[in-house]
Amino acid sequence: MRISDKKSTKETLEQLKKSQSTLNAIVSVYDDPQQESENGPLAGVHVVLKDNINTKGHLTTASSRILENYVPVYDATITKKLKDAGAVIVAKSSMDELGMGGTNKNALTGAVHNPYDLNRISGGSSGGSAVVVASGIVPLAIGTDTGDSVRKPAAYNGVVGVKPTYGRISRYGIIPYASSLDHVGYFTTNVQDAALALEVLAGRDDHDMTSSFKEVGKYSQLLNGDLHGKTIALFKTVNDEIQDETIKKAFDELVEKLKDAGANIVEREMPIQYMELIAPVYRTIANAEATANHSNLDGIRFGRRVDGDSVEDVMTRSRTEGFSSYVRARFVIGSYSLFEENQDRLFRKAQKIRRLIVDAYAKMFDGVDGVLSIAAPTVAPEIDESSDVRFGPSSFAEEHMQLANFSGYPSITLPLGLENGLPFGVLLTCKPFEEQMMFDLALGIEEQTGLDGMVKEG
Amino acid sequence: MEKYFVTIGIEIHCELKTKTKMFSSAPTSFGEVANTCVNEVDLGHPGTLPCVNKHAIELAIKACTGMHCTIDPLVRFDRKNYYYSDLPKGFQITQQFFPIGKDGYVEIEVDGEKKKIGIERIHMEEDTAKQFHKETGTYIDFNRAGTPLIEIVSRPDMHSAKEAAAYVETLRKNLFYLNVSDVKMEEGSMRCDVNISLSPDQNTLGTKVEIKNLNSIANVQKAVQAEIERQSALLDAGEKVEQATRRYDEAQKTTILMRKKEGNVDYKYFPEPNIFPILLDEEWIRNIQDHLEELPDARIERFISQYGLNDYDASVLVADRSMADYFEEVVKSTKETKKAANWVIGDMSAWLNKNNQSFEDLEVDADAIASLINLISNGEISGKQGKAVFEEVMLGKDPKKVIEEKGMKQVSDDGAILALVSSVLDANPQSIEDYKNGKDRAIGFLVGQVMKASKGQANPKRTNELIREELAKR
Repeated sequence: MRISDKKSTKETLEQLKKSQSTLNAIVSVYDDPQQESENGPLAGVHVVLKDNINTKGHLTTASSRILENYVPVYDATITKKLKDAGAVIVAKSSMDELGMGGTNKNALTGAVHNPYDLNRISGGSSGGSAVVVASGIVPLAIGTDTGDSVRKPAAYNGVVGVKPTYGRISRYGIIPYASSLDHVGYFTTNVQDAALALEVLAGRDDHDMTSSFKEVGKYSQLLNGDLHGKTIALFKTVNDEIQDETIKKAFDELVEKLKDAGANIVEREMPIQYMELIAPVYRTIANAEATANHSNLDGIRFGRRVDGDSVEDVMTRSRTEGFSSYVRARFVIGSYSLFEENQDRLFRKAQKIRRLIVDAYAKMFDGVDGVLSIAAPTVAPEIDESSDVRFGPSSFAEEHMQLANFSGYPSITLPLGLENGLPFGVLLTCKPFEEQMMFDLALGIEEQTGLDGMVKEG
Repeated sequence: MEKYFVTIGIEIHCELKTKTKMFSSAPTSFGEVANTCVNEVDLGHPGTLPCVNKHAIELAIKACTGMHCTIDPLVRFDRKNYYYSDLPKGFQITQQFFPIGKDGYVEIEVDGEKKKIGIERIHMEEDTAKQFHKETGTYIDFNRAGTPLIEIVSRPDMHSAKEAAAYVETLRKNLFYLNVSDVKMEEGSMRCDVNISLSPDQNTLGTKVEIKNLNSIANVQKAVQAEIERQSALLDAGEKVEQATRRYDEAQKTTILMRKKEGNVDYKYFPEPNIFPILLDEEWIRNIQDHLEELPDARIERFISQYGLNDYDASVLVADRSMADYFEEVVKSTKETKKAANWVIGDMSAWLNKNNQSFEDLEVDADAIASLINLISNGEISGKQGKAVFEEVMLGKDPKKVIEEKGMKQVSDDGAILALVSSVLDANPQSIEDYKNGKDRAIGFLVGQVMKASKGQANPKRTNELIREELAKR
């Protein structure tokens, strides 16, 4: 479905409700969705929000038990922006609890299913939002991306997933995961819609001091897919690490087509030692920030409260029962790396390595307009075989998208093809605030894949 | 002389006088209905982000400048993590690693001797909510949550209760003069924690004891003295002082154990990721410093040199900023600066005291007081009449109108007085006789008679002179 396609809210709500038995993508729907602005670039467009985006007066759980009854007293800045642009918010979508996870199995309402194969994961943490776009129910769904939580599910579900530059979209009113890595992102079925959506979502917000004053571009109007004179770097280190021959072949074919379309193709590499540090650095920083960020969830002022003998007892019980053991483990790890005696060799060290990795990453962009690689190394894994509880070593092919979270660079996943009927994608990343370039190159790529508007209707 | 060497360091938390909170746009307040001055940020609701209050930074810079601190133009904040029900976010945003000011001092005076007390650091942070423990449960008022604070940490440079009290008093006065804070200790807008240790010699430090929540300067002195005595007694008896946090009990006039120190709490400080470091514009900082309010010591100096006041009067005036401000308003319209100081310190203060008012909320026009002073010094009314006019002026009346209404205008016209003098002399031959016989007292009686005849309006000085002249002629 495209933003320009219109249908009644009744139809959308029926599709959402009907899809629950197969996809299980939704936490709550709006009984009576409202269009609060008649005009605007998204007038009448049905939008689904990830359930960590605050909606005043409407349940917002972040798929966590401790927030199962939380009704925000204020709208997130982007909720307001969407309403002002004429969008109609129809539902809140499932996610990995508090954004922690990449499978969407760790959600209070249970796993979300991939529309291309219901036995497979949607990916996460923005799985619900990915799936409602991939199944053609809505043309636009909002997610958040701390590691690759928009871009990886986008690859698994064959949709466009965008994570713009850090500071491009306000984070005010988004239930956080890890502040220095959190980005707002979103899903569409095509690049044109992706460019339009950013015009609505982006912009300085005085409530978020990390949001940028840079002017928001007219991305959709200026969109130009001509690849002549554009230089695209292939991320050799990542592509070499990937084993799936079907995906590799499709990627190579795409590169040839891009050359034919006029693009200048070069190769770039990152030191392997840095690539192998992505996962531990990410885990250390994300868990440390998360443990502090979620210290406000104590059952005292809002959320699910478990009674106890004292105020301290109430807080302890509410937190113990309110979070899954998986999330609690992350808090313990995060706390551990912040202890005074550990901080230098864990959290601070991770921050320093992050800086080194970002410096090396930035060098890859010298003289090129964008860096292109395979997105996820495989198609969506089966639900029974996937787990987030992976504290052992894993291939950096699974984690490379986190480079754009470390650096804050704008990054987009585009569908590339299907393997046995299951989607896979490519990842394009550009320099900070060069979203126009990112969309232009993405359109050029989309013109070669021909997968613009792809959905899998149930 | 003390038997033990006393070392004292003081930490002061001071609420900044801003309209809104440190990181949110909710209003700051005191005494408002509980939980009415809060928004989602102060309550630590999910998804909220901090936004730094520029005015708070401005006030912190003023405080730093007033305390001679070096200012770090790169403002950075950190998280101090701990769970407590009065801490909505589960962490406090503070400046652990890079305080906005460091290495300053203030000058105190004890028993006529001046001394510099070092300031280690001044940093900005947010206040917590206020808890009330009642039989029915714990109640939390979040109005205070997020109020901007500065914490001023002294060096351990004080060695007596008097010095501790003088330090707190000096800081309080300075911060008040700088318009940085209300510094009302009894209302908690300035809070004071004192660390004391005693040791037998100057080169070693004893065990540190902290006294928390001192709510007046008098209590700072009393608490420190009591604690010195308590620790001295322990050491005399060969016992150990235990590291602990104590509070001062006014009724028992001693410090009471609150809690023993059991190892240090790990607050897991780390840089606040939602506030990027803010580089302050040097011009902006300089502009604040160039327009800094005058500090008390400088003002005393100026009152002495500019208005010719003595040290005592200048100090008394400056001790109360509103009184000093009022004095300066008065002397804008009169050259009689010493008399103005006398009126302000004397009659006005007494009147305000009697009527339970202060210079801060005084509505009487300083012009009117100046005008009264001028009328007296010009001889238009007598000093005694002046006192009567003053009472009316304090009720909001114009002194000239009062004089008119009461027909008080002093007669200085020689002709008019002379006529009265002649008739009084004619009527009192005995007094003339007495005067001639050397009884100078008779003059006083005659002046009194003339004053009476003039209904108090004759200029007494001139009357006196004219009577002497007339007596000489008779």
